[in-house]
Formats: sequence, C-alpha cells, structure tokens
Amino acid sequence: MELGQMQGRLAEYTRSLYMEGILDAQFLQLQQLQDESNPDFVVEVVSLFFEDSEKLLNDIARALDQQSVDFKRVDAHVHQLKGSSASVGAQRVKDACVAFRNCCEEQNVEGCLRCLQQVKQEHYLVKNKLETLFRLEQQIVAAGGSVPMAEMTF
Amino acid sequence: MADETHPGSCECSPTRSTPMGTPLRKVLDRISGFATPWRSSSALRGRRIFHRDVEREEFQYAATRCLSSYYSVFVARLAIMVMLAILIGLLTILTWHFTKIYTTKSLNSLAYGLRNELLQRPILRMWNILNSTSEITTAQVKLSEYVFRRYNKPDTQAEQVELYESMRDVTWALFASRKALNAITINYRNGFVQAFHRDHRSNNTFYIYSDLVNYSISASGSSYEINSLSSQQGWKDQSIHGNISAVWYQEPLDPITGEKTGKAKPIPPDDLINIAGLSEVPDGVASWHVAVSKYTDTPLLSAALPVWDPSNESIVAVVGVTTALYSVGQLMKELVEVHSGHIYLTSQEGYLLATSTNAPLLRNSTQGPKLMRAIDSDDEVIQMGATWLQRAYGNNFSQSHEVHAENARLGHEQYYIDSFFLKLKRLPLVGVIIIPRKNIMGKVDERAFKTLVILISASLCILFIGCICILILTNGVSKEMKLRAELISHLDARRRAEASSNYKSQFLANMSHELRTPMAAVIGLLDILICDDCLTNEQYATVTQIRKCSTALLRLLNNILDLSKVESGKLVLEDAEFDLGRELEGLVDMFSVQCINHNVETVLDLSDNMPKLVRGDSARVVQIFANLISNSLKFTSSGHVIIRGWCENSSSSIDIEKFPLDHKKSQPAHKIKFKQQGSHTKKACKKENKMILRFEVDDTGCGIDPSKWESVFESFEQADPSTTRTHGGTGLGLCIVRTLVNKMGGEIKVAKKDGPGTLMQLYLLLNAPADGTEQHYRVDFSKHSLVVLLALHGRMGRLIMSQWLHKSGVFTMEASEWNELTQILREFFCIRRSARNNGFDAQHSLSEPLNTQVLSIQDMRNPVFVIVVDIGLLDLSTDIWKEQINFLDIYFGKAKFAWMLNHDTSNAIKMELRRKGHILMVNMPLYKAKMIHILEAVIKERNVELQKKSSNALRTTKESNLHEYHEIDTTHFDVASSDDSDMPEMRSSNSICGSLDGEKRRERITKPCSSGYQNINNCLVELTRVYSKENYLTERDPCQVGHNSHDVQNEEPKCCTQASLSAEPQSENADCREQHLVSSCPTAQGNLYSSKAMNEQKSLEGLRILLAEDTPVLQRVATIMLEKMGATVIAVGDGLQAVDALNCKLSAEACERDCVCEDRNTRLQTENRDFPLYDLILMDCQMPKMDGYEATKIIRKSEAGTGLHTPIVALTAHAMSSDEAKCLEVGMDAYLTKPINYKLMVSTILSLTTRTAYVKRELTNQ
Repeated sequence: MELGQMQGRLAEYTRSLYMEGILDAQFLQLQQLQDESNPDFVVEVVSLFFEDSEKLLNDIARALDQQSVDFKRVDAHVHQLKGSSASVGAQRVKDACVAFRNCCEEQNVEGCLRCLQQVKQEHYLVKNKLETLFRLEQQIVAAGGSVPMAEMTF
Repeated sequence: MADETHPGSCECSPTRSTPMGTPLRKVLDRISGFATPWRSSSALRGRRIFHRDVEREEFQYAATRCLSSYYSVFVARLAIMVMLAILIGLLTILTWHFTKIYTTKSLNSLAYGLRNELLQRPILRMWNILNSTSEITTAQVKLSEYVFRRYNKPDTQAEQVELYESMRDVTWALFASRKALNAITINYRNGFVQAFHRDHRSNNTFYIYSDLVNYSISASGSSYEINSLSSQQGWKDQSIHGNISAVWYQEPLDPITGEKTGKAKPIPPDDLINIAGLSEVPDGVASWHVAVSKYTDTPLLSAALPVWDPSNESIVAVVGVTTALYSVGQLMKELVEVHSGHIYLTSQEGYLLATSTNAPLLRNSTQGPKLMRAIDSDDEVIQMGATWLQRAYGNNFSQSHEVHAENARLGHEQYYIDSFFLKLKRLPLVGVIIIPRKNIMGKVDERAFKTLVILISASLCILFIGCICILILTNGVSKEMKLRAELISHLDARRRAEASSNYKSQFLANMSHELRTPMAAVIGLLDILICDDCLTNEQYATVTQIRKCSTALLRLLNNILDLSKVESGKLVLEDAEFDLGRELEGLVDMFSVQCINHNVETVLDLSDNMPKLVRGDSARVVQIFANLISNSLKFTSSGHVIIRGWCENSSSSIDIEKFPLDHKKSQPAHKIKFKQQGSHTKKACKKENKMILRFEVDDTGCGIDPSKWESVFESFEQADPSTTRTHGGTGLGLCIVRTLVNKMGGEIKVAKKDGPGTLMQLYLLLNAPADGTEQHYRVDFSKHSLVVLLALHGRMGRLIMSQWLHKSGVFTMEASEWNELTQILREFFCIRRSARNNGFDAQHSLSEPLNTQVLSIQDMRNPVFVIVVDIGLLDLSTDIWKEQINFLDIYFGKAKFAWMLNHDTSNAIKMELRRKGHILMVNMPLYKAKMIHILEAVIKERNVELQKKSSNALRTTKESNLHEYHEIDTTHFDVASSDDSDMPEMRSSNSICGSLDGEKRRERITKPCSSGYQNINNCLVELTRVYSKENYLTERDPCQVGHNSHDVQNEEPKCCTQASLSAEPQSENADCREQHLVSSCPTAQGNLYSSKAMNEQKSLEGLRILLAEDTPVLQRVATIMLEKMGATVIAVGDGLQAVDALNCKLSAEACERDCVCEDRNTRLQTENRDFPLYDLILMDCQMPKMDGYEATKIIRKSEAGTGLHTPIVALTAHAMSSDEAKCLEVGMDAYLTKPINYKLMVSTILSLTTRTAYVKRELTNQ
C-alpha cells in the first residue's frame, strides 16, 4: 500500500476512534508524552493497561463467581480498572466502569454481571481497535514513513 | 396584525367595513383592543414554550387535584346531609309515634269504657224489662193460682163468672201497677180469654175478653185429667176451634181507675193482641219470645207461664205478659243523642229488637208485620254495621264472642263496632254499638294528623336549613380545602423545584471532575502547543487566543461550579489565620496590571485600625474581592477603583476622622445604615471574638440603575443586558460574591453614590486571631523627620497616600506631572541651599501652600527626602526619559528616589535606572505596605550612611551605593538571622513546611532566603528581587559568575523555576501567589513567556519524586510525565513500599550526605541530614495493602521528631472537596485529581518544592 494512503487511513481511523468515544484526550496526552527517549511509550502503556485490566477482569469475574459476593472487593477492582482506563483514555471502558460501580453500590449481582460483560466487551473493543491502530502505525513505520501526530478532532 | 392572527377579531373586521354607527365601532375597537394585549402576552408565552409547558402541566395537575378534592367534598356533603335527614326523620317518627300511640292507647281504653258503658245501659234496661216482665208474669201466675184455689172447681156459671171477675180484678191491679206493660193475657183452659191491653200510641187501655157464651164449664172440666201430651192436643184443638169460633169483645177502660168508659165492642180474635196460649208453654215452664203485633210498631217481648191447678197436675190457664221493647229503643235514642252513634239489639238470629234510630223494626208482609233482620234494616249505618259484622264474623256468633272492632270502615267513615252477647234463657240477645270513630277519636286523629303534618314540615324545614348550613359550612371548608390543596400542591411544586435545583447543584458539584478534566486537558495541550517552536506567528496568535478563551471558559466553569457548590451546601469555609491586608494588596497588584492597561487607577485604602491578622477562608475572601474588583474594572473605562476597608469598632466616630478624603462626605449617610445593620450583630460578635470588617468598592464606571441594585446579585443577571456584548461575562460573579459574603455572615449591597459609578458596600464577619493580640498597620514615622515627595500620576492614589503619610507623621508634597516635579525639586533644593548658605529668599515663584510647606520643612533638622516617582511621569515615547533621569541625577545625593514601575516597563529603562544607582524600585500601585517598605529601607540606609560617615570617607557614588546596599542587606540579614539564630532547627523546618504557616513567619523565611540570594547576586534589594532574578543571567558580573561557577548548573534552572513560578498570575495555588506577593511584583507574563516555556520542559529538574501508585498504567504515565520534566522518579506499587522506600532511603542518604558534606560545618551537616530524600511524594489514595491515607499518616508520624516535612501530593479519582479535606487532614499538602493534569501537576509540585530548593541551594552555596 502506498505510504500516503496508509497515513490517511491511520488518520481516518484515529479520528473514528475519537468520534466513537472509544478514546479521549487522555490518549492524546499519552501520545504527546511519547518522544525519542521513549519511542514505544504509548504501546508500552497500552499493553500494560491490557495486562493489568485482563488481570483485573479475571479478579472481578472470580469475585462475582463466589457464593457471597464481596462487593467491596469488586468495587475496589473496578475502581482500579476505572483509574487505569481513564489514564489510557479508554473512555468507554471508563464509562462502563462508572456504571459498574453504581451496580456495586446497589449490591446488585445481576447488574454487576451485566456490567462485567459490558466492561469486557468495551475492553475487547478498545483492545482490538488499538491493536489495529498500532498495526497500522507499525506498517507505516515499516514502510519508512513517520506516524503523524493525531490532531484534535473534537 | 393582531386581527390576522386572531379569528375572533377577524369576525369583527367585516363589521368595520360596513357603514356602522360609530359607537358600535368603538365598542368593537375596544374589544379588539382588549384582545390584543392578551394575544401579545400569549405570544410572549409562546416564546417561552418550555416554561409554559411546565406551567400547563402544573395547572393540569392542580386541576385534577381540585376536581378530585371537589368530588370528595361533594361526597362528604352528601353523606352529612343524608345523615342529617335520617336523624331528623328518626326524631320526627319517634316523636309522632310516642305522642300518637300513647294518646291513642289511652283514648282507646277510654273509648272502650265509654262504649261498654253505653251498651251496658240499654242492656240493663232490657234486663230490667225482662226482669219486670218475668216478675209480673210470675206474680200473675201466683195470683191466678190463688184465685183458682179460692174458686176451686167452679161448677156453676156464677162461680165461674166470679172467678173470672176476681181474676179480672187481680190482673187489672197488676196491669195498672206496671205502666210499661203492653198486655196481660190469661187464657183459660176452656178457651176463655181475659186480657188487658194498653195502646201506647193512643194511650188507651182496653179490656178484652172472649164471649163467655161459647164456653161450657163442663166441656172444659172433662178433659182436665188427660196427660200433658193429650191436654196439649186438647188445648191446641180448642184454641184453634175456639179462636175461629169465638167472639171477642173490647172494652175501653179508664187507664187509671179501670172503670169501664165505653161499650164493649166485638173484635175479631187475636186481632189486637197476641194471646199466649197453651202452645207457648209446652213443657210447662216459662217461655219468652219476641212477638209483633199489628198495632205496635215495635217488637214485643212476651213471656208465657202456665198456671197450674192447686193440685199441680194440670194447667188451668196460661198467663202471657207482653212488654213493648219500645222503651229500650227510647233509651238508646236518648243515649245516642248524647253520644251519637248507633246502638241496636238483635236476637241471636239477627232480628232487630231495638235500635237507636227511628227506622222501623218491622216489616210488613202479607202475613202481617214481621221482625226485620239487622242487615235488612233501613238505617244504613246499622245495615252496614250488621253486614260488616256478618262478613267479618260469619252468621253465627258464638255465645261468648264479643267483638270490639276499632276501625271498621262503613261507607266512607270509620266506626267503632262493639258487640255484646246477652245471655237470656231462650232469648239470647246481641247488642251492637256502632260509634263513628270521628266522634271519639275525631279530634285526636285530627290533632295527630296535624301534629304529623307539623312535625313533617318542621323536620323538612330543619332538613332543608341543615342542608343549606352544611352546604355553606362545607363550602367554606371546601374552599379552605381547595386553598389548602392548592397550597399543598404549591408547596409540593416548590419542594420539587428546590429538590430539582438541589439535584442540579449536586449534579454540577459531582460533575466538577468531569467538566474540569477536559478543560484542563485542552488548556494543557494548548500550553504544550504554545511551547512548540515550529509554530508560525499566526498560528501562535491563534493558539494564544484559544488559550485565552479556554481559560475564560474554565473560569466560567469554575464560577458555575463554585456557585453550585455553595448552593448544594458543599462549600465549607475554612478557618485559618491570614493577613487580610496582604491578600488585598496582592489582589490590587494583580488587577493593577489590568488597570494600567486602560487608564484606571486601582487604589487600596485600608484604615489603620484594620487588624493585620484575621481568621477565615482567605481564598474565599480573595475571591469576593477579586470578583468585585474585576467587576468594577470591567465597567470602568477611566477614573479609579478604590477598595476601602475599615474595622467596625465600638469607637466608630474615630473611623470617620480616619477616613480619608471624599470618603468622608459619603460616610455619614451610609454610616447610619451600616450601624443599623451592624448593631445587632455587633454584640454577638464581641462575645464570639468576631469582628465586623467593612469594605467598599468604589468605582467611577457606568454605574448601576437603582432599580437593579438588588437584581444584580442574582444569577446570570447583569445590570444592562447590552453590557454582555461589550464587556462579556456571565453575571455569575456578583451572585457568587453575595453567596460567599452571606456565608461569612455578612451582607453586600449597592449603595448610593454622589458621583458617577457604583459603590458596593459589604461587611464580613471574621474571627479575630486566636491569640487575641491585634496587630495593626499603624506606624509612626514622625521621629525620623521624613519628607516625601509623591510624584504620582494617579490622583486618587496620591491623595490617599499623602493623607495617610501625613497622619503617620511624614511630611508630604505632591506632584502629578514631570514639570511640577522638576519645579518643586528645583525650587525646594534651591531654597534649602540658599537658606543654608546665605538666607537668600528665592521663594518668589513658589505657590503659596508649597511655600509654607517648604518653610516648615526648613524647620526640620536634618530631614530625609524621599521622592517617589511614577515611571509614567517620564516621557517614554521618545528618548527624553533618559535626559529626565539624568536631570534627576543632580538630586541623587540629596534625596532618595523610589521608582514606581509599571509591569510593562521595558528592561532598558530598568537597566538604565539601575545603572544610575536607583535601586529602590517598586511596581505600581503604591499602597501602604509598599510605602512602609520604602520608608523603612530609606531609614535603614540613612542610618548606615550616618555610621559610615562617621567612620569612613566617602567612596565613589556607585561603589558606595553597591556597597551600601550590600551592607544594608547584611544588616537586614543579620537582624533577621539574629532573630532566628537561637533556633536554627526551627528555621529550617519553617523554611520547608512554611507553606501552611502564617505570613509573619513567611516573611522571616523569605528574608534570609532572599538575602542569601542577594549575596550571590550582589546588588538586589528585596523589593526588586524577581526582576533581578529574571535578568539574572544578563546582569551578573563576570567575577560573580566565577565565584558562583560551581553552582550555576543547578542554580540556573531553579532560579528560572522561581521566575516562571512567579510569572503565573492565574495559578490557583496559594503558595505560589504568596510568593509572588512577597516579591511584590505582578509579573509581566509576556516578557517571561518564552523563557518560561523553555524552562518548563525541564522545570522539575533535579527533583526526586517518589511515586506511589498501584495501577501500572498510571504509574507509567505519571513517571513519563515527571521524567519528561526532568524529575527523578522512583515508583512504588503501594503505600507500604512507599513507607519502606522512604525509611531506607532516609538512612542511606543521610550517610551519603554526611560523607559529601563532611568538610562543611556541623550546623550545615545537620541541616543537610534533615533534608528529605525525596523532594516530593505523589501518593495514590486507593492502593492495595496500604492506602495513601494510611501511608501518609505513617510518614508524618515518622517525621514527627525529625522536623522534616516531605510534601505529599494526593492522587485521587475523587473530585469532591470532602476527599480533599480528608487528604489534607491526614497530612497531605496538596491534591491532584486523576487523570493527571500535566500542568496542574507541575505547578503543584513546584509550589511545594521551591522552598526546599531554596534552602538547599542556600546551604550548598554557603
């Protein structure tokens, strides 16, 4: 594929991510932080996030599986997930976490399970999206181009 | 237009076109005129469709409620009415019942008695008649028997005749004695008949006898022995035969004497009277029967009794007595006449015997008169009564049966019918009395009926009235209920509205985090963009513009959030000691930058009785004034904005005197008002150690219309809507101000003002400082014999300042422009010189007041001249200013110059001034604190100078000046350090944790700091420190560079940091601003921008930061952020690790430091050891194992003995103030919300670490 075309696609894709509310300004900040000294900063942080969140999601699932659900623990996990997703800029995951916490406050097991599904879904969605994004970037880099800085589209 | 829209008036319009009479047209016009405003209002309402929908909804809601309440009222009314009706009905019925029943009962019993009595009497009479008849009969029989015995067995005719004669006499006697008797007959065996008959109608008495010739004695005697049966037979035959054949004679008699009065005449037998024969006594006992005769119209009661012969073997004769029942009927008539009604007697078979009427009792038939049955009676009543009885009880009365019927309806009337059974042997009688009910019960019935009617009508009336009453009452109640329901619904609506507004506020407060974060991100990103080098000029301008707009938007957001915070009750005022004057000075400094831009003078005029320290929420107080001042500035294009403040004491009269200038004239007017307001609070305040601080913000702007004085404090309200376009703003500022002022127990209002502009008056209720010692600004310079020449451009500021100086014992002169200044200077010094030299009088050109001033100054011994020159007096547009400065050089030795700089005064001028030795430079505006600084500096300088003069010879001007300043600073430092020398530990700890301490301490800290700094820089006065810092690199002497060369590397960034920090006027951090106040330099943002931008990249250079964060993502992000800014980051995963890291590092570092610094003196060593190994800790609040709060507590505890204070910044995802409070409570110093805002983090970190950096640097330098 041609380099320019790829760059165009990347820009388009990034914009769509922002438009769909999957990512927010925080991700932009992350990108700003990436420079020569930390060339893979965004990827690093994002993969950290995914590792962490997988773990958290497992923990949450396990906690919810128990006979008597410890809502405090679930809440703490969700809170952590919310914090990390907010830091990465995964807005929709964050929003789902907010809903999740409400369920936790109500001690609503079914609601929690539903929210967990929601969070998982959002999580995989953002994961897929970001993986695609990074792949695109890698392709561009491999093709010898530079990744254009995402501009504020909103 | 109106007619087109409204169909109603469309119909009107054709009528207009027709040739109508004018009056009608007028009326129509009027109607349409009425319609128009209505329509316009509806159109207006249509515009606010949203509101109207809500209103309609409310209305419908209210309507349904009204309807339902109406129904309920209706039902209640109905129920009450029904109940009333039932009650009244019951009452009526009961009343009626009791009256009626009891009366009826008693009456009935009475009537019964009466009837009984009535009936009893005729029956008694009947009885009497019967009795007398029987008595007579018996008597006749006995007499007859006697006579027969006497003439026993008459054999001869003569004897026979004699017998008959004697019988006749006896019978007559009996007959005469009984007037009521109708007839007495004696029928002899032989068929001879003797009878007396009395005709009641003709009142004649007759003797009737049969022809004696026909009867033989023998014939009769022969058959005497036959048995009764045969004798009977014989009698019968005889009588029949005799009757047929016999000839009877009737002889009229004198009814009294019995004498024969007429001739006997023959009559047919049995014609006149009924002669009782043997047939009537078949068994030889008495018999009764009712007979009728042709000649009487009443039935006759006849009794027959046989006369036995002496031997008692045969019947010799039969005696018959007949009594007319006429007298019974007579009695009945009499009775009935009295009592009315009908009485009749019948035989058992129903034949009428006697009635109370005149109706005939007998019926004429072919066989002569016959008894009539009662049912056939001619009298209707009797007939009907009989019929009724028959119908009711059948034909036969049982013997014992008595009938008492009370309500027999006969014809059209009610009757009482009573029947009695009279038992007579062989002749049972039935008496019947029929009395019309009317006669007995008529009145009663009538009364009862009337009573009933009256009762019913009365109860109906009561019911009706009751219903009306209920209606009226319930109407009132229902109205009240309706009102109440409406009220309730209104209250409900209000409550809901409040709740929703509360929800709104709460929502907004909760949204603070969500709203601020993106804004902060936008601003942060814009800052990053601005720092970018590759922007073109236009881009840079655009971005700057965006930056400004974003800041404005953020400010607006903050305003709204502040407001909502206050409204939702989340705002908690803190209670800390602060220097109110200093805060206000800082504000004025800040705003003066804006002021100078558009030619408005900002003057701070605080009364001397203002306490130096007060307790309260400094940030909010500052916010109040910031809003007020910015508001005033916004609307003031030229003139001045004065902030006056004084403390309301019991001695308020002194205040007036203290009040400077034009304030005085407006003072009394509103003084009274204030007094009224304050008087009640004052007493309370005294007790609670509170004081009332009064302020005025007076501007010369466009003013506010008096009608809007109240409404300007409402949300989103501006005095004039058009100002939004020209001045911008949201109208939230004053609302926030009022809310805050009220929250502090004060009040704010717009007051009347003489001139143009607005005068805002407010008072605040603030606590006095805890220690109770009031510190005032009052100073007295009189003993220093100072003369101050105020060469200031702004009139108000100059006036107020000179007034104050005058009061403080300083002699002042004023100049408002350059020429005036020069004139005063020239003449003044000329005069002095001449006066000193030869007394030459050169005062001719001086104005008179100045003249006297000068004269009085001349009287002073060794005065010190201070000339305060506004840089604005110089002509800066051209290069003339240089010459002007040169001109002033002449007076340099004679007077001390203090320069008032503008924030945008160019470096060239500053350099030039400094080159000339003018070191005393302060920024506009001039207020008391600055003046005091200037005067103190001057006094100190002079003291030193005097000392020097006595010891040393004079050096060259410049050198001496430099040296002097050096010396001053040393003195200064010495004084300061000698203050602190006995407590070095204390000082160091102060210098680290001073951010939360009082201003006084701060002052002390900064002095040594700055003096140390000045030692390096060699030529700086405290007041111009920032300026010199800024120019540090360029200004430094080479030798000094050399001297400090080993420090430069770490010195430089810190220095710049300091500068850049000071260069952030909008920084929200208090420390930052205080720093900026201390340095008294409202900084020039523009000048510093580029350098700052450069430096900010590495603004955290050299800082060691411990990051405690469990989320790896955040940890990574924060690390990179901090590292990018040059900080060294040590990241740990939880609170426990953080504590551990701090502890082990502490010891390790301490050792290290000891080694490094071993050549230094011991004090420094200890100081160094006391340094925290991390300059700052970023602490996440929620962490596993040990959360941030816990960790902070432990850290603070471990620090407790050492005097260390490592700044801890909380990182939390909670954005509420309560969390902030919690953070600060456990000992954290600041608070950052996630996601981390780049810029805010930097400024927070810097504000917390600069002091550490200072002390560090100072120590390393030494």
